[in-house]
Amino acid sequence: MPDPAHDLPVLAPNIGYPGSAADLAEATAGITAAGPTRARRPLGPVFWVSAGWVLFMILLAVLAPVLPLTNPSTQNYSAVNAGPSIHHLMGTDDLGRDLLSRVIFGSRPSLVIGFFPVVIGLLLGGFAGLLAGYRGGVADGVLNAVSFVILAFPALLAIMVVEQFWQPVALSKLTIMFAVVATPLLFRIIRATTLSFANREFVVAARALGARTNRILLRELLPNVVPAAMAFALIAVATAIVTEGALAFLGLSIRLPNPSLGNIINEGVNNNLLQSNPYIAVWPSLYIFVILTALNLMADRLRSAFEIRDVKL
Amino acid sequence: MVDAADRYDRRAFLARGASAAAAVGLAGVGVPALLSGCGSSPSATVSSTPGVGTGKPRYGGTVSIGLNSEIDGFLPAASHFDNSGLSYANTIFDTLTVIGADGAAHPYLAQSVTPNSDKTVWTITLRPGVTFHDGSPLDADVLVANIEALRSSVLTGQALKPVTGTSKVSDMAVAVTCSEPLVPFPHYLATQIGYVIGMAQLESQSSTKPVGTGPFSLVSWEPNDHLTVTRNKHYWRKGLPYLDGVTYHPIAQDQSRYSSLLSGTIDMMVTRDPHAVKDLRSNPAYQQVADLNPTVGQPDMDFIILNTTADPTNDPLVRQALACATNAPELVRLFGAGITQENLSLFPPHSPYRPADNGYPAYNLAKAKQLVAQAAPNHGGSIEIALNTVTDPRLLEQIQAVANMWEQAGIQTTVGQVEQVTFIDNLVTGKFQAYTDEMFGASDPDLNYVWLSSTTASGPIALNFARYKDDQLEAALQQGRTSSDHATRVAAYQEVDKRLGAIVPYVWVNRAAWSLSASDSVLNFDNLTLPDGTKAVSFRDGIVNPTPIWRRA
Amino acid sequence: MARYIGIRLGQLVFISFLISLTAFLLVHLLPGDPTTTILGPYDTPSARAELLKQLGLNKPLYHQYWTWIVNVLHGQLGEAFTTKQTVSNILAVALPIDIELMIVSSIIALVVAIPLALVSALRPNRLFDRSSTTSTLGMLALPPFVAGPLLVLIFAVSLHWVPATGFDRLSAGIGPNLKSVILPSIVLSFGSIAVYFRLLRADLISTLQEDFVTMARSKGLSTPYILFRHVLRPSSFSLLAAAGLSIGSLFSGAFVVEVLFQMPGVGYQLVNHIYARDYLVVQGLALVAAVAFVVINFVADFLLTVLDPRVRRA
Repeated sequence: MPDPAHDLPVLAPNIGYPGSAADLAEATAGITAAGPTRARRPLGPVFWVSAGWVLFMILLAVLAPVLPLTNPSTQNYSAVNAGPSIHHLMGTDDLGRDLLSRVIFGSRPSLVIGFFPVVIGLLLGGFAGLLAGYRGGVADGVLNAVSFVILAFPALLAIMVVEQFWQPVALSKLTIMFAVVATPLLFRIIRATTLSFANREFVVAARALGARTNRILLRELLPNVVPAAMAFALIAVATAIVTEGALAFLGLSIRLPNPSLGNIINEGVNNNLLQSNPYIAVWPSLYIFVILTALNLMADRLRSAFEIRDVKL
Repeated sequence: MVDAADRYDRRAFLARGASAAAAVGLAGVGVPALLSGCGSSPSATVSSTPGVGTGKPRYGGTVSIGLNSEIDGFLPAASHFDNSGLSYANTIFDTLTVIGADGAAHPYLAQSVTPNSDKTVWTITLRPGVTFHDGSPLDADVLVANIEALRSSVLTGQALKPVTGTSKVSDMAVAVTCSEPLVPFPHYLATQIGYVIGMAQLESQSSTKPVGTGPFSLVSWEPNDHLTVTRNKHYWRKGLPYLDGVTYHPIAQDQSRYSSLLSGTIDMMVTRDPHAVKDLRSNPAYQQVADLNPTVGQPDMDFIILNTTADPTNDPLVRQALACATNAPELVRLFGAGITQENLSLFPPHSPYRPADNGYPAYNLAKAKQLVAQAAPNHGGSIEIALNTVTDPRLLEQIQAVANMWEQAGIQTTVGQVEQVTFIDNLVTGKFQAYTDEMFGASDPDLNYVWLSSTTASGPIALNFARYKDDQLEAALQQGRTSSDHATRVAAYQEVDKRLGAIVPYVWVNRAAWSLSASDSVLNFDNLTLPDGTKAVSFRDGIVNPTPIWRRA
Repeated sequence: MARYIGIRLGQLVFISFLISLTAFLLVHLLPGDPTTTILGPYDTPSARAELLKQLGLNKPLYHQYWTWIVNVLHGQLGEAFTTKQTVSNILAVALPIDIELMIVSSIIALVVAIPLALVSALRPNRLFDRSSTTSTLGMLALPPFVAGPLLVLIFAVSLHWVPATGFDRLSAGIGPNLKSVILPSIVLSFGSIAVYFRLLRADLISTLQEDFVTMARSKGLSTPYILFRHVLRPSSFSLLAAAGLSIGSLFSGAFVVEVLFQMPGVGYQLVNHIYARDYLVVQGLALVAAVAFVVINFVADFLLTVLDPRVRRA
């Protein structure tokens, strides 16, 4: 079955483009009637280690209640601000609570707030951005305006009002609020990226050949938009986790004593604790940093694996 | 509760707009210390009297002072003067009286404040030859106008309720008539209602352009940024002030303020963060004054206020259980950095008004559990309490510890934060169970009358937030207010403390610990003198008076 | 072109209207009102009612909104109920702070991110790329309320190079002004550096895979020339979009930094006045911040069309 997109090798980047005969052979080797090939290069140990680590962290979070961890809310006044030791692998905070269990239990809401809104944002905002960037017109104007209204509005005011009326503050509500902000954000980024590709020759050509919008969106635009989208999505995840901390700064986040990475870092910074017990702020920050790095390595490996061409300089 | 950059306290009622950020835990909560004439003597813990300069005073130079909050205006009848507000007021205005080191209220802007025989009429005679910053004279007409404005203001009217009228006796004297003997009246004149403002400001009702008689006059005020003042060359205290000018910087965050002092961005700093206080004590580059062991008057108290009209805190057994379950020494150890001290009474240890045994239930976990078991059946089988505070991270840490202690006794406790405005609303309308609070600093116990009285304990809005009505307590308060005999007053206020120990509307924790620190080029900042040369209470409850400060050459 | 601007202006008006309405409604929805801030516990129900009447807050909501909007269009934004400062005055104080923070932090972020991205994209997954990615991720994971105190500890307290708090106006001299702004700008730039770096790098890598790059090389052009002249422009789309978003949101989003460094910018004032229920100030500031955001992003959108003429002027 003829595939218009792939019958125009010269103008379609990133999809089986032959720079040389050898490339062509390699590229077309796996093309079946169903579509282009999957991974051309092995993902490599870096990917698997990172993926394994991310999986491990997620499992820790999910299984936290059944793991042999100290209760994260148990205060022990004889072991206040203790450094790492056999009993407390990460030390204790200023109320004598075990930091390791607080970090693991704290990762639960933070990971949810980090990932879910971004996933929702990618699905809703991403596709809307793709469509709006390609089609333009009234729909684009309206979506753009709506996304502006949501993004331009001082979030703090909105969050305060929402939390007043939607008591008590719960993880699900925070997730929805973040998703409401993430969607227009991703919409705008993906719309911008789509715009950059929407009038390129290969798209024009595909359209000239009679390809329908769906096909163009999925086959021509999406693969080109994905790298930027993934890069931004990763940042959005990090920003969400950190923003939860900023909300904790104002007392608008997960209610203590329930931990979240944000409110633990916040506790660690206040009350002169950066100087008296830096561990409180350090461990959760390190956790965020490590999981971001792992995700980043995974994303990079995936992109490399799916790319056929090398950087040309 | 141990320190708190911003804690809700009686002063904190009026969340000041600009300093409402305090509610965010970032701004110092300054609350109008309406009647706080609290006195305290400088801490005796640091050697060679810090804050008292030796040698010849030097004229000239300016000083920048970091405060913990911003105010919302300069009108005593309309603005909220928390400790920062009072510091500003001390700079631009003068009070009629000032508390001396002996604890009595001495005439300051007034030349004399004399009562009639039964203390129902107080005659305030002003000093001659004093002019306001705009050149207008200080006389009886201005004073009458000031007092009338204060009486008719919603904000300050309550405090002056016993006053029935003011009348001009002569060009420089005013008689204030009260409906009953008001023995501590001179102490009132050392508080927010003692500041005298110029006619021009009274008429314009301007809260941004103050006209006072004080040591400095306004140059510029940018809320949340700075207040700059310059020397009043015609100040009625000859030879004062020494400085050419002062700039105040409200810096809400404790940490930021402390860093500002250490980095030299500011020369002096007010704080109640025990960690900073502790660090500065051992830092030779700074001098510090901290009113940790007051011997004059009573300091602000950190405590938890219980609503005696809401379930389950309306049950005296429950309140006693809460007091027994609260380990104040432990709280102080955890959060006080060795600076603050627990105080299980309305009065500090050396106050004559503190009885030997005020009956307040001390920490006793077994007793707490027993009381809980006893009371639980009357409350549906279990006692559940919501303990809330303002959005201050330090307080939040502390209530988590308190909640933990209460849980040990079998009381199910949830903690939470409430935004300042809602906090005040709830406090005043009685929609709370247990809130943190800080207040009661005063130079005379009667200054706290409105907060403790049964006459203000009911209705849609109650200044006695805990809403308790106790005839014995009220009688004792009345006696303290109207009796001139020292022994009677002592007995009366001891009775007040005992009644509070029996009713337990307040779970006492510790005394607040304010400190004023300065780099070593700033001298004599805690040495205010009265016009006759005797020593006055200078720094107290976070209130600064810049009159005596001079800079090293 | 005129049509383009016309459409944009139309959108701006529409969006501004929606935002003004939302800001008004939301702040009025918050429980409590300015009387608590002004009177505190001392008020009586009658005093409260009197005050509300004085402030014009006893009228029905639509009436209040209409009065406000009409005043705004006449340039009168109102004043704070508490300090009596006019909103225009508050803005005159707050805007220069935010504008300067915005400019300095953007310069820092771009100056750091662009070269890092360029070099990393040339040799992806090698050492330089790896370390740049790691360090920018580190900056992203470090919240401003941790980075701020740390930087203050080092540069203000220990080294005494810059003040720990406060904003020194330009009128006081460019030196003190820059010194007071540099630390908060650095803290603000951390998040942006990571964003700009990653987006630019991703786009650069895509662009560098194109044929025209080989073509340029085969013409004998040098790497820097190719990068700057041919590659950077088409790769800046997501960077531009992100820049628009992050710069635009600075006006209300720099709150944490403003509090830490005691700089009464728009975010700081907004939060304070929300807590005080100072409706007019909140509405005015929210409107201004939002309009600034929209205008900045419109500029970003326009620059997109300039960068690549193929992008339609939609």
